[in-house]
Amino acid sequence: MKITYNLSQIDDVAQNIIASATCSQLLFFGDMGVGKTTLIKALSRALGISEPTSSPTFSLVNEYRTPDDGIIFHFDFYRIEQPEEVLDIGLEHYLENGDWIFMEWPEKVLKYLPEQVTEIHIIQESEEKRSLTLQNKC
Amino acid sequence: MSLKNDCFILAIESSCDDTSAAVLHNDKVLSNVVAGQAIHEQYGGVVPELASRAHQQHIVPVVAAALRQANIDKKQLNAIAFTSGPGLLGSLLVGTSFAKSLALGLNLPLIDVNHMQAHILAHFIDEEGYEKPSFPFLAMTISGGHTQIVRVDDYFEMTVIGETIDDAVGEAFDKSAKLLGLPYPGGPFIDKYAALGNPKAFPFTKPNVPKLNFSFSGLKTQIMYFVQRNTEAQSDFVNENLNDICASIQYTIINIILDKLKKAVKETGIKSIAIGGGVSANSGIRKAIKDGEAKWGWKTYIPKFEYTTDNAGMIGIVGYLKYQNLENKNSFVDQGVSAQSRLKI
Repeated sequence: MKITYNLSQIDDVAQNIIASATCSQLLFFGDMGVGKTTLIKALSRALGISEPTSSPTFSLVNEYRTPDDGIIFHFDFYRIEQPEEVLDIGLEHYLENGDWIFMEWPEKVLKYLPEQVTEIHIIQESEEKRSLTLQNKC
Repeated sequence: MSLKNDCFILAIESSCDDTSAAVLHNDKVLSNVVAGQAIHEQYGGVVPELASRAHQQHIVPVVAAALRQANIDKKQLNAIAFTSGPGLLGSLLVGTSFAKSLALGLNLPLIDVNHMQAHILAHFIDEEGYEKPSFPFLAMTISGGHTQIVRVDDYFEMTVIGETIDDAVGEAFDKSAKLLGLPYPGGPFIDKYAALGNPKAFPFTKPNVPKLNFSFSGLKTQIMYFVQRNTEAQSDFVNENLNDICASIQYTIINIILDKLKKAVKETGIKSIAIGGGVSANSGIRKAIKDGEAKWGWKTYIPKFEYTTDNAGMIGIVGYLKYQNLENKNSFVDQGVSAQSRLKI
């Protein structure tokens, strides 16, 4: 699936992703500033999160609860230098316990991530336009 | 504040990257050890900075070093304070479990501390040359992971009145630096080059965020386009204009912060402003806040740098304040206490 969109359409894009993703663990690929965190914020909104969601670059992982008590873990592996560090964070524990897992910068730790994931690649088409491709691997 | 209970407190902090232990005699910090500095040199070897497992390797030597530097025997301690949250669960668990075990072994009371409250109460550490704020005041915590304005009416009466809806200030600095090809984390480089450049050379627009909240991710995307556009026309554009670009970015970030602070002062009528968090080391921000004293009649407070970044000294001062029963409830917790990664102020 490929979608081209601008920022004002992001909530519709989020609804579309939730309807299209067959896996609950989603990897977000794309350059810095392309809008990975912004898209994940829209996904969290679409899942009913009303509290402020912020970037987990520093905290590595943020946790949110949906109205029906589902758990969302939002990871950002940007600061990871050695892939092994994700084992020390307890990644496996999070993967087993989250209802939705959103992961930014997965390329930094790919060998420790599950294979059954939905991959989302975001590309900058122009200053306003982005396109994303969604590929289910489960 | 009149002193009720003379005490020695051991404090432990392990909420994110750094393991830290401190010993306080009342509101004076006798030692404040952060792993990654003295401990590295002493024990040698490379310890992965980010690993929560590193906390397990650090915690025993860090606590031993804090007691040794304070010249205090653990039998002299009156209580143990530890960070219970917010933070990375795996990291918090190390400090929490260690504090509980030590308290059980030494039969000492345990005091749980909120890391975000500690950033604010760090202003009450007794330190020569540093004045303590009086209530009420506005606390602004700015770091790699946090951007908050908090109304502080008493030691334990705090209300978050503004916070970031995306990136933290420190993250904005670090990621801007990365987009300019500077090493990560590059916030300090921006500060350094900004001092040599023209802050109005390249105008960036400020985000329009409601209330007292902050947003920095739009600035990051603006800088990305700015670099793309200009390097297409001139490949060495960034290097040729580095000082001016850094000065312009820093100027924009400072203005975003100042606008919200001014708005917070206007809405609350409180003109005392206390800054904390690692980004308070940024020289441009320090100057801008300080200038508010002459321009708008603010009274500003910036603590000693070692108490602004993640450190156990600030955990210890909260331990001390709770030991004095300033919280208006029993501040000691029992062995059932656990780490809470999502703890709010």
